[in-house]
Amino acid sequence: MLPFRKALQRWLLSRLPLEHGGRLGQRRIYLLPTRFGLLLLVVALAVWVGALNYAVSLAYALAFWIIGLMLVAVLMAYRQLSGLNWTVLPGEGVFVGQSADCRIQLDNDSALARRLQLRAGQGGEPLSCLLAASSSQSLALPLLLARRGRHGYPALQLWSTAPFGLMRAFAWLRPDGHVLAYPLPMPDRERNDLHSEQGSGRQSGDDEEDFSHLAEYRQGDTPRQIAWSVLARRDVLVSKRFASQPRGQSIRQLAWQDYPAAVDMESRLSRLCWRVQQCEKAGQHYRLHLPGVVIEPQPQQRELALAALAEFKRPS
Amino acid sequence: MIKSLLRQGEMAVLLALALVILPLLLFLPVWLPLLVLCMLALRAVLLRRQAAMPSLYLLLPLLLLAVGGLWLSLNTLVGREGGAALLILLLGFKSFESRQQRDWQVLLALGFFLAAMPLLFDQSPLAAVWLAISLLALTWAMLILSGEMVKGSLRSAMQALALALPLMLVLFVVMPRLPGPLWSMPHDQHVASTGLSDSMEPGSISQLVQQQEPAFSVVFAGPAPAVSEMYWRIMIFDDFDGRRWQNVRGLGSETVQWQGGHYVSYSLTGKPAKSRLPLLEYTVAAPAGGTLEPGNLFKLARDGDELFRFQAQSLLAAHYRTVLSPADQDFYRHLPPGNPASRQLALQWRAQGGDGAGFVRAALQYFRLGGFSYTLQPPLLNSEDGIDQFMFSSRKGFCEHYASALAFMARSAGMPARIVTGYQGGQFNPVGQFWQVKSSDAHAWVEVWLAETGEWLRVDPTAAVAPDRVVQGVSQSIPAMQPQLPGLGRSMPSWLLRVQQNWQAAGFAWQQWVVGYDAGKQLNLYRWLGLGEQVDSGAVLRAVLIGGGLACLPLLLLWRRQRSGSPLQQGRQRLVQALASMKIVVVDSDGPLDILNKARRLSEPDYRQLKALLKEYAAMRYRQPARQQQAKQWLRRVKAFRPGRQ
Repeated sequence: MLPFRKALQRWLLSRLPLEHGGRLGQRRIYLLPTRFGLLLLVVALAVWVGALNYAVSLAYALAFWIIGLMLVAVLMAYRQLSGLNWTVLPGEGVFVGQSADCRIQLDNDSALARRLQLRAGQGGEPLSCLLAASSSQSLALPLLLARRGRHGYPALQLWSTAPFGLMRAFAWLRPDGHVLAYPLPMPDRERNDLHSEQGSGRQSGDDEEDFSHLAEYRQGDTPRQIAWSVLARRDVLVSKRFASQPRGQSIRQLAWQDYPAAVDMESRLSRLCWRVQQCEKAGQHYRLHLPGVVIEPQPQQRELALAALAEFKRPS
Repeated sequence: MIKSLLRQGEMAVLLALALVILPLLLFLPVWLPLLVLCMLALRAVLLRRQAAMPSLYLLLPLLLLAVGGLWLSLNTLVGREGGAALLILLLGFKSFESRQQRDWQVLLALGFFLAAMPLLFDQSPLAAVWLAISLLALTWAMLILSGEMVKGSLRSAMQALALALPLMLVLFVVMPRLPGPLWSMPHDQHVASTGLSDSMEPGSISQLVQQQEPAFSVVFAGPAPAVSEMYWRIMIFDDFDGRRWQNVRGLGSETVQWQGGHYVSYSLTGKPAKSRLPLLEYTVAAPAGGTLEPGNLFKLARDGDELFRFQAQSLLAAHYRTVLSPADQDFYRHLPPGNPASRQLALQWRAQGGDGAGFVRAALQYFRLGGFSYTLQPPLLNSEDGIDQFMFSSRKGFCEHYASALAFMARSAGMPARIVTGYQGGQFNPVGQFWQVKSSDAHAWVEVWLAETGEWLRVDPTAAVAPDRVVQGVSQSIPAMQPQLPGLGRSMPSWLLRVQQNWQAAGFAWQQWVVGYDAGKQLNLYRWLGLGEQVDSGAVLRAVLIGGGLACLPLLLLWRRQRSGSPLQQGRQRLVQALASMKIVVVDSDGPLDILNKARRLSEPDYRQLKALLKEYAAMRYRQPARQQQAKQWLRRVKAFRPGRQ
């Protein structure tokens, strides 16, 4: 049974293209009886044999009613998935060793409530969701990232045994999304001369900083940075970013070459990562130099920098 | 209250199981289903309190004890009763062992199997109703157990069962039936057999006559014979011990020559008693499913008391000619000593009549004119000279008295004679177009062998005494019976008669099409539907495909209805279609105002109507969420809106 299932699963997955979303239809939904369904089928068979032997007409009726119920269960289980829309939501990066969320959104535009379960691959922890009629819900499936780099979303199995638990309707999704695992930050106090610089560069330049753009609120942003007017108007937390004149030392240079040749790639990346974090926390402008890549101060700089570190010399 | 109880699927399972077990109270020793019901209740209490389960060391001896008790009261653990009893007992104990979802599912599946148990004992319409109730309870429990809300799930369960119903009916009709059992089963000794008894002494048939149960039903192909010609043979008694008639020998074989008569064919449905079923006399060839025994009796090939249905052809009013060897003749003349006066009279008749036929004439004449009367409450006869007492002093009796007396007289006169028991007559039901023969039609008559022609002649002395008995049935022939049988008699109002006939017809239809639906009936249906001349794999496949397709129609309808979305969406769709027919193209992004703008060139009344509809739509859609009822009413108005047709 098990090798057969594995082969079947491989075959099913190989048929599926990577997708950003779609609508579940006949071609995607598979149906198999659950263990309980099989048991009930055996019961129907036993009743049928008994009816055959004892010539009990009403027992035939019972056996066939159970069979009919199974068929209705097939349809109802199929209906749980059929016509369901799904969309991949972008994943947020995390540091190595943390768990990232694969996020997908389910849209139910039918007049039917759905009871669904979702899990990654064959053995993942299932996530249940009750999707009311004409509603949407986004599900986040935790995914533990053990190594640095870009991780594609795993194949997801979406299934339902509702309403009877007799039949299992399932569909495999191959979401075209990914999450990034940033290098694990490694403290590098030696090169973190932030404090001295803050004294001269930051504090004196406070007033001269010009508003540059608005960005999503990040943990560590000072209350001064929060755009209160936006919060009042639109009820979203947004931080202001400032751009000061590029004045020599006020831009930190974080470079691959800061380390002696003896330091290996991963620890270099980890240290750089820590330093990027520190700069971001302090609101310090910085420029990241990696072989072949330079990340200048810009909107979303943190994400770009961390992504560059995560994907450095890693095939995506 | 019930809803809060059911909130746990496990409770729902226990309740459904209790419901399924309930009818077994009627068929098993009462303590047993009661015990299991108590166990289920106890389990429910434990479940409610979240208490610990009793240990296996306590349960195991209890189980053994209960099985021991079962053995003591039933003497068996297999067969119909033993099996059902053991099953519910195991189910009760299994409930104490159920902890996980999977255990409860096993229990629920067992419940479905258990629902078949009462059907082994009873297949009446009431049993069918209870089966439906049990199934509903089990399905509901299944829904709740698998996580469905209690609210609304009863409706879902009903809907699912209703959707499965056509499929069930199709399979019931087309799935092949076996003509016989797969394996033979131990015969149940506990079931009291109904019908005629193995021996006849005064009283045995009159008890039967006082019952009003249907014995069997018959449908004649073509016109039915006269009631007085309907003699249904079941058993032959060939030995008399002075008190009781019995069947001791049974002929090994018999060569019969039939003479005269006309053919009548019919189909008969009834419950066999000791593998015997009635045959209209005389039947020339054995019907399918059994053999024709000497004496023109029908014996089924298999045991069991399930309803049986067969087709037969009878030669009515024929002469039954057979050759009896001298030994056989002696056997049919054997008598115990006693009853000297009757012997004397018999010899006198013989001398009077000359040959055998003359004897019979004389005998019937005597019964007709001798002051005999027909009653169900005859005086008791003493054992030694019972025949004498009946012939000369009491002269009151029932068919068994007359038959017994005549057979005795014939034997005394040196003529081979025997008694045939069975039924006589029947009642036609114009609603169901069938004949119903009841217990009260049970009858006994005599066959005398005439040496001159070598013929077994049927002689019915009761007909001589009470001619009405064989023409109109028991209730007409005994005035005293009428007040005891409220359902019979001339005084019955016609509406009551109609109700009775309808009820009988419904019962007959139930017997014919549900309980008695067997391989033969199925074959007829297949032929009638043109599915095939035989119930073979091809025909079954055709039937399943066609019937299954038809049965799936309700499923499709449900599917379409659910896909069509909310009333508001449907209504907008309808409006767009209606406008498209007027060449007004509306795209998805158009709001109500855009639609109204585009539809400006509609005629004035159409435009106003559309405006009103759209205004309402906008209100329901954008201002406050519409109530279902309101939206449906709006949808109805949208459907009535037909621009350009006024």
